Amino acid sequence: MGKKLQIHSTLTCDVLIIGAGGAGLRCATLLHERRPDLSIFAVTKVAHPQKSHTSTAQGGMAAVDPKDKADKSIYHMFDTWKGGDCSSDQNVVKRIIDGGWEEVQWLERKGIHFSRDEGGNISKRQFGGHTVEFGKGDALRAVFVADRTGKGMMDTVWGEALKGGSLFINSTVVTELLFNEGCCVGAVLFKVKEGEFVTVLAKATVLATGGSGQVFRITTNCRNNTGDGLAVILKAGLPVMDPEAIQFHPTGIVGPGILASEALRSEGGILRNKEMEPFMERYAPKMKDLAPRDIVARAIETEIREGKGIMNSDHQIEHVWIDLRHLPDYVHEVKLKEVASFFKTYANLDSRTQLCPVRPSNHYHMGGIPTNEHGEVQDSANRVVPGLFAIGECTCASLHGFNRLGTNSLLELLVMGRYVGERILSHLKEKQVPAPKGAGEATLDLFTNYLEAQGRENIGMIRQEMRELMTRKVGIFRTEKGMQEAIASLIALKQQAAKAAISTKSMRMNQELLERWELDNLLDNAMTITQGALMRKESRGAHFREDYPERSDEFQFHTLVSMTEFGKVSFGKRPIDMSIYESKGEHYEQFRIMPRKY
Amino acid sequence: MSKTYSLTLTIKRYDPDRSVTWFQTYKLDSGPILRFVDLFRRINVEQDPTLAWASSCEHAQCGSCSVNVNGRPLLACELLVENAVTLFGTTQFKITPVKVAPVVRDLVVDWEKTYERVHRAKPYIIKPKELSPGMTEHRISPQELARYEEATRCINCFCCADACISGNRNFVGPNAVMASIVRMMDPREEEKNERLNLLYSEEGIYRCHTSKACSHVCPKNIDVAHFLALAKEGAFKRREK
Repeated sequence: MGKKLQIHSTLTCDVLIIGAGGAGLRCATLLHERRPDLSIFAVTKVAHPQKSHTSTAQGGMAAVDPKDKADKSIYHMFDTWKGGDCSSDQNVVKRIIDGGWEEVQWLERKGIHFSRDEGGNISKRQFGGHTVEFGKGDALRAVFVADRTGKGMMDTVWGEALKGGSLFINSTVVTELLFNEGCCVGAVLFKVKEGEFVTVLAKATVLATGGSGQVFRITTNCRNNTGDGLAVILKAGLPVMDPEAIQFHPTGIVGPGILASEALRSEGGILRNKEMEPFMERYAPKMKDLAPRDIVARAIETEIREGKGIMNSDHQIEHVWIDLRHLPDYVHEVKLKEVASFFKTYANLDSRTQLCPVRPSNHYHMGGIPTNEHGEVQDSANRVVPGLFAIGECTCASLHGFNRLGTNSLLELLVMGRYVGERILSHLKEKQVPAPKGAGEATLDLFTNYLEAQGRENIGMIRQEMRELMTRKVGIFRTEKGMQEAIASLIALKQQAAKAAISTKSMRMNQELLERWELDNLLDNAMTITQGALMRKESRGAHFREDYPERSDEFQFHTLVSMTEFGKVSFGKRPIDMSIYESKGEHYEQFRIMPRKY
Repeated sequence: MSKTYSLTLTIKRYDPDRSVTWFQTYKLDSGPILRFVDLFRRINVEQDPTLAWASSCEHAQCGSCSVNVNGRPLLACELLVENAVTLFGTTQFKITPVKVAPVVRDLVVDWEKTYERVHRAKPYIIKPKELSPGMTEHRISPQELARYEEATRCINCFCCADACISGNRNFVGPNAVMASIVRMMDPREEEKNERLNLLYSEEGIYRCHTSKACSHVCPKNIDVAHFLALAKEGAFKRREK
């Protein structure tokens, strides 16, 4: 070592988009279409935008087709509001849902390969929680690309961004946001492959860095979803909103956590414990295995806690079984083809003759960087931070409230991507504001510390321990005691991490160095999640407190958590927008605060 | 109790600072359903944190973790230990980076360089067809879509390009060609001639020797060779301007 780290170069562009998944690149394409003269940098942590986590979304994208006589936007808004346990912002819900079908048309014209009906029109399918006439019937509202809707979308947006001339900066992460006189003027990036730090100055900066699922041991999220965007926001002294709002899917495949669709149960799959008991009968006597996601997830978790789970010795993970053996071959081979093939590929099991191992898996972060309905980032006093925008899973606008409906995430990515693009154009500054003094110093200090750290602690072990801890204590069931223990453990892990020496001091593609940085981000995320969940003494949507099992009007607000020093948090509140209700327009009463019962 | 396999992984390593290549052997015991990405992660935690390897989604939807195992290009996230033992008839595995891209470090390759081929094939609609009057979306029958839908499942893992006997120096590669063919067959694309120019160029389909290695190794089971064959037999016609 010995060589001092430095900023390799300073680049300028008009718009810097950090995160080149569905949201980031939809924003880029809007900018290219309207202003082909602008220079757009699209930064991605993965090796190429096509490798983004958006590509893994399976089921569909919700959007109300104006040609559909049975469906209306107001129904979709109601489902989203109710599904989110009355914690979504109604202004955001309205804006996003109103913009849905335009995105379907945009995708279709740009070449997405939507599945088609016999007449050649775009097919639609039904999805859980999506209804017509305020819960009266099922809505056919999700457009889809077979079982790979996210991939279809991702291929369309990266193709269009490429065509428009976006500069893809691959295998690169954001380590620091730059501000000058309160205005965001760009960011410091670390190019992992080259091992170089660069400063990028931009007239607008967009964070679209995705989720934080790697905080938990069992997750459907990709390896790169380490909550980096939230960590740089916290470092900049800005808050995160509703970090405690995290969705767990009831049936992840053991061990990798890959999502096994609800379709397993809707086609007749039965959950069984170690004693082969079909235990859902005890938790939901009427709906049994078809009860909503959170109820099924809690039931499985309870069985495991009570010792009625089964240990998978390869992955060292406890699980229950899903029994599909009684279903006809046709269901296995046609209707559940994709999921059945997952069991074959990842567990070497034949779902026709063998029991399949499942357990709840972390799936989606409803919380994130607080923005308004234009995607502008807000500070802890709910003031807009000029020049800084955020979109996609890393944000909390909030469309999803405390529980996201299936197919609403892809909708949010695209619509908000477009809206942020439009907002940037109407607010784009004439001139580039220069970098502040000392830009990049914090990053260089941080990485120098990582490289010079001494000690025998093991980064991989600390990460494993943190993920295990978060799954056990801040997962599906949360209690005061458990979370206080979790906070103490996280502080200890943070101290341990400081004593982890990096074996290779080389800068080029130093995976260990990247993982050291990611570990800090994961710990920051874990801490704010836990603190938010501890503060919220109620149960709301996916946030379930065993010691406070009911929703409480006292907590009818968004949590804001700031953390400039690890473990020391300050809280704020943002009111939940109820503008549809307050407008007293048609059906406004459906947007009151109501119990989430299905 | 599940079975335990005693595995020997011999991994090709590369240090970009010293430009040195060597093979390193790791021994580990594993249960039957760990995947090769799980083994790499275990090596990092238990034996050697310096080993660099690539992955992202880890369920065969992003194509970041392509490697060569005993000479065969495949996705490390899909390869279970017990299947690997059956497939190769051994518990000894030689793991090398894919040849189609320059190595950055160890098993991590520079996909950017490789993606340039796909970018050259223009994986988007160059010139979109106008909508019919009164329509807000195009109509495409399921039968028409079915002709090329399989090819749209490609994740650009480049396993086909790695296995291709035509080599990667003169041939733009099976997946890049297929990306262009998708839009040749897509009724919404008006610009067919420019695409034909690439397909029939010096780096185009006549470099293909029809070994069908591409179809054989494709992790998504796409019959890549079928789409190349369509271009070879002249299924796509030039448009009169």
